[in-house]
Amino acid sequence: MGTTASQLSKDLLSEYQELTFLTKQEILLAHTRFTELVAKEERSSLSLRIPMEKILTMPELKSNPFRKRICYVFSTSERKDGSLTFEDFLDLLSAFSDSATLEIKSHYAFRIFDFDDDGTLDCGDLENLVNCLTGETDDTRLTPDEMRQLINNILEESDIDKDGTVNLSEFQHVISRSPDFVSSFKIVL
Amino acid sequence: MAKNSRLSLASASDENYTFCWRVFCAWDYLIGNPEAAESKGAAIVNNIREAIVEEQEKKKDTSLAVLVSLRILANILVLLSLAGSIYIIYFVVDRSQKLEQEKPELTLWEKNEVSVVVSLITMIAPSAFELVAQLEMYHPRTSLRFQLARVLVLYLGNLYSLIIALLDKVNIMSSAIPVAAVGNWSDSSAFLATIALPEEENLATIVPEISERHNSTVGAALEPNRTKSTTPPILNHTALYEYNMRSQQDQCWETYVGQEMLKLSIIDMIFTVASILLIDFIRGLLVRYLSDCCCWDLESKFPEYGEFKIAENVLHLIYNQGMIWMGAFFSPCLPAFNVMKLIGLMYLRSWAVLTCNVPHQQVFRASRSNNFYLAMLLFMLFLCMLPTIFAIVRYRPSQHCGPFSGQEKIYDIISDTISSDFPLWFSNVMSYVTSPVVVLPALLLLFMLIYYLQAIARSLKFTNNQLRMQLQTERTEDKKKVFQLAAARLQGPEEGGGKKAEQESDITSQESSVRSSSSPRRNGSVANFESPARHGNSIRTIAQSASRSDVNRAVAASPNPPAHVLQKHRLDKIPSRLPIQVLPPRSVQPVRSLCRERPLGSAVPQERSPGAPGRRGAAGGGAAQSFAGRRSHTARYVVVNEHEARRKLLRSSTRVPPRHQHHHHREPGDIVELYPRTVKRFAARNAATAHRAPHQPHLSEEEEEEEEEEEEVVRSARRRGSFGQSLRPRSLSDLHQPAAAARFYIGDQAGSEVSVGRALGAGEEEEEEEGGEEEEWEDTASRSRSLSQTNVQSAAPQPPSVKPKTKHKVAPSITESDSASVASSSDPQNSSTDQYIQVIHNKDKYLKTSSAKLAKKKSKASIDFNVSASNELVFSNV
Repeated sequence: MGTTASQLSKDLLSEYQELTFLTKQEILLAHTRFTELVAKEERSSLSLRIPMEKILTMPELKSNPFRKRICYVFSTSERKDGSLTFEDFLDLLSAFSDSATLEIKSHYAFRIFDFDDDGTLDCGDLENLVNCLTGETDDTRLTPDEMRQLINNILEESDIDKDGTVNLSEFQHVISRSPDFVSSFKIVL
Repeated sequence: MAKNSRLSLASASDENYTFCWRVFCAWDYLIGNPEAAESKGAAIVNNIREAIVEEQEKKKDTSLAVLVSLRILANILVLLSLAGSIYIIYFVVDRSQKLEQEKPELTLWEKNEVSVVVSLITMIAPSAFELVAQLEMYHPRTSLRFQLARVLVLYLGNLYSLIIALLDKVNIMSSAIPVAAVGNWSDSSAFLATIALPEEENLATIVPEISERHNSTVGAALEPNRTKSTTPPILNHTALYEYNMRSQQDQCWETYVGQEMLKLSIIDMIFTVASILLIDFIRGLLVRYLSDCCCWDLESKFPEYGEFKIAENVLHLIYNQGMIWMGAFFSPCLPAFNVMKLIGLMYLRSWAVLTCNVPHQQVFRASRSNNFYLAMLLFMLFLCMLPTIFAIVRYRPSQHCGPFSGQEKIYDIISDTISSDFPLWFSNVMSYVTSPVVVLPALLLLFMLIYYLQAIARSLKFTNNQLRMQLQTERTEDKKKVFQLAAARLQGPEEGGGKKAEQESDITSQESSVRSSSSPRRNGSVANFESPARHGNSIRTIAQSASRSDVNRAVAASPNPPAHVLQKHRLDKIPSRLPIQVLPPRSVQPVRSLCRERPLGSAVPQERSPGAPGRRGAAGGGAAQSFAGRRSHTARYVVVNEHEARRKLLRSSTRVPPRHQHHHHREPGDIVELYPRTVKRFAARNAATAHRAPHQPHLSEEEEEEEEEEEEVVRSARRRGSFGQSLRPRSLSDLHQPAAAARFYIGDQAGSEVSVGRALGAGEEEEEEEGGEEEEWEDTASRSRSLSQTNVQSAAPQPPSVKPKTKHKVAPSITESDSASVASSSDPQNSSTDQYIQVIHNKDKYLKTSSAKLAKKKSKASIDFNVSASNELVFSNV
């Protein structure tokens, strides 16, 4: 624990560089942004967890409909409260970075969309997902009829083994055909 | 444009996953602005709704007859309005012509009548078309296309009718003026109207004289006066002057056309600005502030806010472009003016769009590429050049003004200039070049080129189709694979259960040491199986498929890699090497335990632990150990090879799934820090599977060694500083267990004499090299030597108190560990391992080849690579 709060040590930095898709500048920027969220006196330790509420105040995540899911997915907290350490945070940025591959991105997308964490996207997950996208207000929300049809259509398209759920490989199969996914699944500080 | 078409071709493949994409790929994660997020959300809703509606519409068929009749009606209306607009323009031009001839002085309105009318039409007609388009009930994209086409035709028709009318006027002018120059001036205006075209020919003979006279004088504006003054009839000079000025100006038909175009351009600008202000801004203001005091909701009912009209605005640009193309020849400053105007309009419009317009209600992608618009521009260029070229070729330039005065045709000036102003050789060359001798072959060549290019295009098209077919078949194959995988997954759980049972029996039958070491490994794999929620889906599938394949191999010795999306290559590689090792008479279990570990990707144990026994062959384990060593080497090879070949891929694929609790363990760039992590993982898994107990109590033999190692580790950790926390002494002991397990299994079950000598040899060689460092190696308890060795080596060079330097220090240790784990063929300096490999090579040829390959690769690879490789290995823990 030889690192100081404000600055990452050189070797740590290079390790982070090695292990993420981020460049040095990005890591440093991430670190400053991360430490900004912490109160001054607490900045000493790297393993500090920042509660999800604080993370979500970042403008990059604030308006994202999946912000909570993102936190949960990237959090290594034992209590499942979505809190992030700096390394979790770096992981997040790395997965959302420019150079992360389609596989990584689609994998994380899958986990973000997998609301109940059961490893497949079932009807409930899809409904949650659509509701996240459309928002909760009455005029934007889909009617049950529309929702049913939409989910049926989605499953029809992507559920190759016809088991009523979309699993990761099916999901990646679909996603990898999308021209926009890689470019839109991105968060830049 | 070419690039665009390439893109559009590439993306032209049929959209199979409309719904999935609209939901899964809908959100743009870059959006950080709440307002943007809101509108994006609205757009997504619209998008989804649109897809649903379309799907619904596919199912139900609306009354076709009504729709068809409506569309026919709409088209008739549009055609009528087009014809009407063309007629109006022609009529207006005709009227202005007559007015000009009848009245000496024109009012402002009369002067600008033509351009105002044209602008009005271009402003109003598109809106009318839009109304008509609502009748048709097309999909917005289709209706946009229709609207674009209609407005384009309208604009083109306007421009064409305008220019034709103008040229018609020019026709009359150019025939009338020469007559006027000679005829009686007093009644020339009346006379002008009566003169017909045919007279032009006989008048043309007179023209040259006049023009010659004019050319001799200085000022173009004063010329008429002079000529007039020399003409026989003596008239009132002052009255004549004015009149002559006008008629003289009229004689310059080029100027006249240019003026008209400029006028049109200016008035178009005025109208555009006015329409933006009126239709968008004022309306927006009214809607916003009057909605409170009105009986109905202005914002959502009748006036609403204006929508941004894509078709109109795009075509307005194209229209302006057309004006430039048409007018540039006649008024050279028109492009400059138009550019200024368009820049200004752009800002005005952007302001208007942002403040008073609402987005189109139905969101749709107007066009995938901009090719459509670019093609329209090109088309417009061509069409607008036609009248100009026609004018250039057909009409004689005006006599009294412009650079072309005096020429029979406008283009004559080129040949004139060449013959008179350029040096003689140039005109000679030009005459040759323009002679049929050159022109005809050149034309021929061009045709041939065109033919050739077309042939190429055809063939490319063919190839394109073939490639697309190929893609499609691949896609279906992919689907099949996914399907297979899904089927495999169904079998997965049973497998896992089976293994667990097996393992349990193992535990009971084996010695405690074996148990303690084997169980964690087993548990590791099993735990992976059983906690999909934590490790993510991919882990599970990988683990399952891999382990299954391994089992298959072990039992049937037939490489049968399951189709696997993520780690296809990896699995492909394994069977090619493994079966040979598996084949020898050896119980299934150890093999499997080794194999299973690998695909699972708990890289460290697999890397190091198997390596340890092999080296240590000289000691107690003897033959069996060496055997194990060999086997494990291959295992390691596989891993390392993969890392090299598909470093990036692995990195990506492996890093994806499991979110381990210990992120920082992932970070370490060197071995010492790697251990704890895997160990921790083991521990966690063990805890999960309630097998933790076995590996806590260690074999007595191991213990002292471990202690030492622990010490060293701690030291090195301290040195490294940052990750001290991650290095737990206990972890090492955990780590050894896999190693021990490997050895033990082999020693127990595969204990054949085959490789005693070899093993001994290997051990001796090792001793030669590294024996000085530690004596423990020769102990029977040396199973964890590889660990200790690496630790020692990383630790030894530096005194404990020294501060980091890590990169430098780490590197050697890593190469060491790498070499140790990778059968060390890689590093030339590690001769012991090299020799070891040679020993092996007696037995297994393939191993040698692979190792040779490896060595080649490795020697190239730098220390850095090693570092990263080890990192990746850690990550392969997926």
